[in-house]
Amino acid sequence: MDKKDNRYYGEFGGQYVSESLMNTLDELEKAFDEAIKDPEFIKQYNYYLKEYVGRETPLYYAERLSEKYGPKIYLKREDLNHTGAHKINNVIGQILLAKRMGKTKVIAETGAGQHGVATATGAALFNMECTVFMGAEDIERQKLNVFRMEMLGAKVQPVTSGSSTLKDATNEAIRTWAERAEDTFYIIGSAVGPHPYPKMVKEFQRVISKEARKQILEKEGRLPDVVMACVGGGSNSIGMFADFIDDKDVKLVGVEAGGLGIETGKHASAMALGEVGILHGMKTYLLQDKDGNIELAHSISAGLDYPGVGPEHAYLRDSGRAQYVSVTDDEAMQALLELCKLEGIIPAIESSHALAYAIKAAKTMEKDKIIVVCLSGRGDKDVNTVQRYLNGEETNK
Amino acid sequence: MNRIESRMNYLKENNKKAFITYTTAGFPDMKKTKEIILAQEEAGIDVIELGIPFSDPVADGPVIQDASVKAINAGANLEKVFVLMKELRDEKCEVPILFMMYYNTAYHYGLDAFIKKCAECGVDGLIIPDLPYEEQDEILAIIDKTENAPVFIELVSPVSRGRIAKIVKRSRGFVYCVSQMGVTGGDAHDFHKNLHDYLAEVKRQSDVPVMMGFGIKTAADVKPFEDVIDGAIVGSRFIKLLEESNFSTEAVKDYIKKFKEEM
Repeated sequence: MDKKDNRYYGEFGGQYVSESLMNTLDELEKAFDEAIKDPEFIKQYNYYLKEYVGRETPLYYAERLSEKYGPKIYLKREDLNHTGAHKINNVIGQILLAKRMGKTKVIAETGAGQHGVATATGAALFNMECTVFMGAEDIERQKLNVFRMEMLGAKVQPVTSGSSTLKDATNEAIRTWAERAEDTFYIIGSAVGPHPYPKMVKEFQRVISKEARKQILEKEGRLPDVVMACVGGGSNSIGMFADFIDDKDVKLVGVEAGGLGIETGKHASAMALGEVGILHGMKTYLLQDKDGNIELAHSISAGLDYPGVGPEHAYLRDSGRAQYVSVTDDEAMQALLELCKLEGIIPAIESSHALAYAIKAAKTMEKDKIIVVCLSGRGDKDVNTVQRYLNGEETNK
Repeated sequence: MNRIESRMNYLKENNKKAFITYTTAGFPDMKKTKEIILAQEEAGIDVIELGIPFSDPVADGPVIQDASVKAINAGANLEKVFVLMKELRDEKCEVPILFMMYYNTAYHYGLDAFIKKCAECGVDGLIIPDLPYEEQDEILAIIDKTENAPVFIELVSPVSRGRIAKIVKRSRGFVYCVSQMGVTGGDAHDFHKNLHDYLAEVKRQSDVPVMMGFGIKTAADVKPFEDVIDGAIVGSRFIKLLEESNFSTEAVKDYIKKFKEEM
């Protein structure tokens, strides 16, 4: 295997899909490479990001949080995007590409429903037929998002195979795509999947760090000391890291979901145990059992509840460029509640993982240090979970 | 010589078509799997495709997905399938057997150890649907250096087009031609619209036998293609038959004999 080929990040990534999809991936890569170099395409993408999504998003100085913990903490407010999270950045990019390729239908997988809602939104905007695959378990847990997608004109297809959650929804989307690739574009929501998806998702999420880098230079006249983001599959984090990767003095920290604690086995930290495997078209770190079957992830946050991680993160971890840590359900929930009270912002539980680690790290840092945290989404969708959590009820299943 | 290659050669010399059936190992349990394999052999099956159950079988439709889940829940795993293989070979079962599996199962086992174990236990071939041409170098290098290693079966699809030449060039045993887009299961209505042309193209380019699979239920389904294929592979239908007959070995034998006669 040629490890230097551009389908790989070190030993991670690749195209582990059926033969039926290889020409499709090839066409997709060519179309993407052309589009990303086409000023007209970029102009269109930027137009929708500005006029429809509402970018640029603020880099907000969290004054009271900073005061309490020491260093300056800035929040990249992706929660202020249309649909309430960073997911829409990628959807706009991929759906414009789908149109450019002449596709009339889009499919997507979703766990909690955020990527599904973003895709349904984009499909409505660009008049595409949209089917979202969602695990039957998740449909039960996220009824409101199912209804949102339906309001937006999407068809929500329940998936009952396997564990009936995100990984199975992804399997089903891949199966359907293999059958209908001729007229159907698969919009993957995270920085995962076969090449060129991880690369494509990174490019369409790069806007997060592109803006943040410019904003921090304007506000502070220097780069931050640390940049942090939560990692499920890793789309907001790869977007948050992208333009800082070459700034070697900026520390990059990805925060995985530690669930009930790594030692309990009930977590979603794919990189914690360092087991490499193959799933959803990529070679990467995965949660798996002794037979190589994929294990279920566990997190209070549905958006981080994924047993793998994007291949570039696996590479950034191994090369030492980024550090990956995890925080537990409890730590994330405390950070969520603290941000509500101190800053009047209800963050998504996903983003609260990054926040929790930022607070932990801040306690050991000097006052003149700067931390930038990606606040990837808003927490309105999570208030039921927060309520159940505070009442001591079951939150995950 | 490799059992698959020698069986295929024999069939070619005698101008006969090959018939392959798929069974999920450990469905419903390992003991029954052994009985089914022996019944298949007795009925004159040419090659047995033994599915190694995996948690995320993306190339499979509902029937085989379901069989995989049931097998895993009943405790099936790769190690136990190796034990079964060893047993079969020790008991002089000489029917060609290949593994149909997902890459992670082999990768997790360790590729070197996996191929070595296959050689020891008499596994004759491998079908790994999520390991396309571009990702095969690592496993092929290990196969090449291992004595009695299984042959790696290549798959082509109706949309492989320009990729056919390089794929068939690398093929050993036979080429597995997928008859439809998407996953296993379905029926003849789902066959790709250009199926005959595509099969003819593969047949023209290939030095090894051309086998057609996915969506086949009866010999009549492959009749229109008999001029361009060397045999047929039945998976989901065979699993259904097992379920419907409550895993009757008689039903297995009848089905195989009938299919072979009619083909």
